[in-house]
Amino acid sequence: MKRLQILIGKIIVKLLRLMHRNAGNLPGIVLWHLSRHKAVSMFKVDCPIIAITGTNGKTSVTNCIAQLFEKSGKKLIINREGNNLDTGICSLLLRHCDMKGRVKADLLVLETDESHVPVVYSQLKLDTLVVLNFFRDQLDRNGEMETLIQKINGFCKTFEGNLILNGNDPNTARLGKANPKNKNVKYFTAERYQFATDTIFEASEGRFCPFCGETLTYDYYQYSHIGKFRCPKCGFGDYTPYITASSIDLEKPVFTADGHAYSPRLNSIYNVYNMTAVAAVAKLYNIDQKITDEVISKYTVKNGRMENFMLGDRKATLNLAKNPVGANMTLRVMNEMNGEKELLFVLNDNVADGLDVSWIWDINFSIFERVTRVVTSGTRAYDIAVRIKCSGYDPAKIVVKPDLDEAVEELARTEGRKFVIANYTAVQPTRSALKRYSEKHGGGSK
Amino acid sequence: MKSIKILHMYADMLDLYGDGGNMEIMKYRCAKRGIECQVDSYSINSPKPDFSSYDLIYIGGGADLEQQHISEDLMKCREGIMKAYKSGTFQFLICGGYQLMGKFYRDADGNEIKGLGLFDYHTVAPSSRKLRCIGNIVIRAELDGKSVDIVGFENHGGQTKGVKTPFGKVLCGNGNCASSEFEGYFEKNVIATYLHGPCLSKNPEVSDYMISYCVNRGASEKITLQPLDDKLENDCRKVMLDRLLK
Repeated sequence: MKRLQILIGKIIVKLLRLMHRNAGNLPGIVLWHLSRHKAVSMFKVDCPIIAITGTNGKTSVTNCIAQLFEKSGKKLIINREGNNLDTGICSLLLRHCDMKGRVKADLLVLETDESHVPVVYSQLKLDTLVVLNFFRDQLDRNGEMETLIQKINGFCKTFEGNLILNGNDPNTARLGKANPKNKNVKYFTAERYQFATDTIFEASEGRFCPFCGETLTYDYYQYSHIGKFRCPKCGFGDYTPYITASSIDLEKPVFTADGHAYSPRLNSIYNVYNMTAVAAVAKLYNIDQKITDEVISKYTVKNGRMENFMLGDRKATLNLAKNPVGANMTLRVMNEMNGEKELLFVLNDNVADGLDVSWIWDINFSIFERVTRVVTSGTRAYDIAVRIKCSGYDPAKIVVKPDLDEAVEELARTEGRKFVIANYTAVQPTRSALKRYSEKHGGGSK
Repeated sequence: MKSIKILHMYADMLDLYGDGGNMEIMKYRCAKRGIECQVDSYSINSPKPDFSSYDLIYIGGGADLEQQHISEDLMKCREGIMKAYKSGTFQFLICGGYQLMGKFYRDADGNEIKGLGLFDYHTVAPSSRKLRCIGNIVIRAELDGKSVDIVGFENHGGQTKGVKTPFGKVLCGNGNCASSEFEGYFEKNVIATYLHGPCLSKNPEVSDYMISYCVNRGASEKITLQPLDDKLENDCRKVMLDRLLK
């Protein structure tokens, strides 16, 4: 029966390939049904598995961790395209297994959706779980944050492998207490950076100690609820970090971790946390320091994550923001830059975005500095326009263009620096529209 | 200059789904008209304010855990809130705030959280957490004699029963219970609803109904609000009405 199911799965993969289609999810879905929802248990994996989960930064961290091992000469299997649900992981393994379901590799590095961690790794033995952060994200799809954390916490209760946690995120760090017997819990943290604040700046989740209900106190907030926290009553938050990023200077940008200086390419505090997580994995698996240096210093992102375009002679930076934290970070980067600029915000409400767009009201637009004009687009172009208007921004400077090409034309009409924020399903269409403009009027992807 | 005073309760705990935006919108619409709008916050363990000194009390929605946290504290405010409500203070209640003002809330595990009992409806969550009323919603309400179509987003497990005077008739979506005919609870000085979005973002008539109520409290002559340019808000609503009702 099992062999038959694998055979069917493999045939579907082949057929899709013959049709030049991406076999990212469909074979897994078929197998999932055939196996009565236990598709992942079909496979026999003898090598270690590293899984990466969290709301923001999974794809970046997964790719960097994979590079650490690839450059060390290991044979990896990785879901680079981010098919991170159980069905996606199943499709990936189908492509790499033999007819008996045996998966041959030195290591599996798997980006895994937060809500799918328990289901996938109750069926496959996990060596290391890296948890980056938990933010509000697509609330109507994921359910409330607490439900999600409870799910992963339930998994961690019996997990004895390496657990690498963001020690500056109380929502994440609490997982470290799920299994008191697990001696392999390791926290990564970062010291105060130049734009850290003493009070909370943006709407956030998890202000109370999950163990005793007391309000958490913070030495500093880096962004959202990420920062040096502690429970004054039960001491939650008191632990020795495994690795800490310090001497963070985003102008250069540089930071130090474990006494070693790194010069990443991306100048955001997110990236510092992501790269510290990467450095933690490198430390755990004794990766050659030269390799870690190379990976961290060369890592840069495409696919609409701080991606630059030229619209004629006007520079535009596109960033994905699928939740308020992401959007607030982009606004900060925009504000920290001198001179006047214009913003295009593309907001969609397709199923993958979460149908509810009210999260945009958790974005702090009142900090706008030297923003001379705003163009809005997407299926919910008017919602984001109303939101920006009610933050006190002059409505006469807001232009609504639901059609993306018209929106980009409008943005590029005037001179100066441009920023583009797009949510999940809006990113690819926005990239295409920016590229179409460049092809027509000169410029290009940079 | 006219002024109104709002008490935003548990703003730091019940601010799921952008409900904090409702206060931003109230302030914005008051400021445009030269009405001073003071929003004070109250949270667990703050000193008890004089509830009756406020024109409007606002409570938003939150995650289940946070709701449990506040219900105990809320009970301690019962007398003050009751007195304020009876003396005409407006109650604007979203989702969790709506539920907590009823008789009780029974969660998915069967635990009963006592409500404030200001109104005689109650809420029961289905035993499966997966059964939730989620999606865009349109209701038709009557405000100051005018029929208004209100657009929002609902996301609630709790099924609210025993409502005698609902806020609106459901044109699209679920309402108080799954596939129910009506949504929310309404009195002259109460709007209680499941609508997030936030509720006021696309529905300026709802904000203005409350602002008008507040500025006219104790006024000797009827004060009419100066109209505002709501083109963006109205276009925003029209996009959704066209999508959901056609």
